[in-house]
Amino acid sequence: MMAAAPQARSAGPRYIVPVLAGKLARFATRLRGGGSAFPGYLTNRMAPTLLPTLADQFRYGVIFVLGSNGKTTTTHMVSEVLRAHGLKVFTNPTGANLPQGVTSALLADASLTGRIKADVAVLEIDEGYAADLADRLSPSVILSLNVQVDQLFRFFETERVADMMLDASTRASGHVVVNRDDPYLSKIDVDAMKAPVSFFGIAEDIVAASAHGLSNAADTRSGTAGTTPRDAFAEVREVSGRDIVVNVGGADARITLPARGLHYAADAAAALTVAARVLGDEFDTDRAAAGFATMAPAYGRGEVIPLRGNPAGEQVEFVMFKNAPSLQMNLDALDGTPERALIAIDDGTPDVSWLYDVDFAPLPRVDVVTGEKAHQLALALAYAGVEIGTVEPDMEKAVQLMRSFPETAAGRQVWFVNYELMMIGRRILGREEQETRR
Amino acid sequence: MTQVTIAQLYPAELGVTGDRGNVRAIERRLAARGVETTTVLVAPGERLPDALDVLVIGNGPLSALRGVHADLTARKDRLDAFVSDGGVLFSVGGSAELLGERLDAPDGESLDGIGVLPYRVARVSARRVGYIIVDTPDGPVVGFEDHASEWTLIDAASAYGTVRDGHGSFTRGEGRGEFVRVGNAFSSNVQGPVLPLNPALTDVLVDAVAERRGLTLSPARASDLDEYADAARTKILMRPTRDKGFKTIQV
Ligand SMILES: [Zn+2]
Repeated sequence: MMAAAPQARSAGPRYIVPVLAGKLARFATRLRGGGSAFPGYLTNRMAPTLLPTLADQFRYGVIFVLGSNGKTTTTHMVSEVLRAHGLKVFTNPTGANLPQGVTSALLADASLTGRIKADVAVLEIDEGYAADLADRLSPSVILSLNVQVDQLFRFFETERVADMMLDASTRASGHVVVNRDDPYLSKIDVDAMKAPVSFFGIAEDIVAASAHGLSNAADTRSGTAGTTPRDAFAEVREVSGRDIVVNVGGADARITLPARGLHYAADAAAALTVAARVLGDEFDTDRAAAGFATMAPAYGRGEVIPLRGNPAGEQVEFVMFKNAPSLQMNLDALDGTPERALIAIDDGTPDVSWLYDVDFAPLPRVDVVTGEKAHQLALALAYAGVEIGTVEPDMEKAVQLMRSFPETAAGRQVWFVNYELMMIGRRILGREEQETRR
Repeated sequence: MTQVTIAQLYPAELGVTGDRGNVRAIERRLAARGVETTTVLVAPGERLPDALDVLVIGNGPLSALRGVHADLTARKDRLDAFVSDGGVLFSVGGSAELLGERLDAPDGESLDGIGVLPYRVARVSARRVGYIIVDTPDGPVVGFEDHASEWTLIDAASAYGTVRDGHGSFTRGEGRGEFVRVGNAFSSNVQGPVLPLNPALTDVLVDAVAERRGLTLSPARASDLDEYADAARTKILMRPTRDKGFKTIQV
């Protein structure tokens, strides 16, 4: 952790050497095909005040997006809604949510004298580093999406993740935005915040009608497992497939989500809350809806790619999951039983014990089970009563199998994949580019 | 038809690592050997079935352990009697910690265990994450460990397995140990869940139930479950660098 947070100084010539060194290091690591952490590290060492200085230049401030699930999607949503209002948005590449990655991304956009030309920064931030980064980037808004049972190998306990988000939130200067439907987050100590707190949520009847609710972690700490009742500033009032209605501060926004699922509806309500709070009187529900309309699905989150390279032929819908809550929410959002399905997990998901906590009823049959952990996955599916076609640990061969089947009536297969196999699956289908822009 | 009664204690509080998978494995294994089962989920404050054959308890965060602590403490006599009578107890993770004599948490706080099993537990700073292979008198057991729990055995004879690969929960001789067994009570930090992955270990429990109840089991009917479990085990046993490749970012 940082001893004392460095203070922002005005941009200028003092930053030429460190920025140049960082940019050169960035160029060099790119040539080698390496990661993006080192340039950020180098620049931070040479000019610790650069990061606060960059952050200080965003007219509408810096927005942090935190949460166990949905950071990438929501960061994209906030960015697009703000863009639809005419703002120039800086955002970090997906997954570059650790301090060095954020620094590197800012560095790439900065001029040599440390000037950055954007109105607002929307940053997906890893919970573990949120407080530390908040000390350096002074965010105006901190959004916390949800606390779910995830990454126990990293955080030990789910409640610790909640505390990291709530602790970071005390540092927001303008607004704190949290999920009313999350047991831990709904219990936020409003008085401990510098900034006013806005809640977002989904109307009770909609949550009640969903097979497994919202899959947020139960509060095992306070003695009240559920949520504390809160009024939502933005509330999802209607859901019909991808089309939803969100009431934002009294006005209805009619939105089309990039993919089906109650979790995406919650992300949208979160994004609208943030946008409305950042823009104030400038916020407009029609513009917000336009922002959603231009939004392509993020990689693997409802993304559709041709199965055999033919854009007019059969398609693959990618459904990415990373843990029990995200898989459950995606299964619950299925538009009927998939005619053909593939499911895949590799060692990018270290522990798969949680598979036994998922209700696979919406997926009675899977054609191909693949990935390094294919047999562990098949075992869990068999225990859940899912009928299995073939277990083929090799993803390339699994794709060949999926291509060998007769075309589905709907012209679409559904592939359930963890992050790593989503990227590999996309590549096999001919999508080479890395997931970075949004 | 014979009925065997299985209970899962605190499924909501202590069930974060697919612990109901262990229950299902016992149910399915008994069914494959011709025995019908009934499973009861028991929450804090609820009664355990009088005629109990198998008790499964799973894993959860420290806050959940604090939450069930009083309820579990009130059940000490019943659990002591159950174990000394040869009842089958299978406990993983947080619940295993509370079944010992004491749990020292990292912040200097300590929780009295209920002392059904002979060890003390200290939470340590280094997390132990990765596949684990344990050699036991009933063959190798594979699974996944993800804990910061160091056990000190009060009765060394209760050690059931020796770690072949992985970290384990306690020191055993020159090496490391995993799984404690007292009578037919087993506890460990092995996830996976471990019983679906290890039909041979499940059979140890099933045989213990049969012996205690005087049941004659038929030979196991083969199923897809065995085939998948076998392939999953082979993969874990043959994995050259079991411990590598997990992106554990220290916070
Ligand atoms: Zn975009």
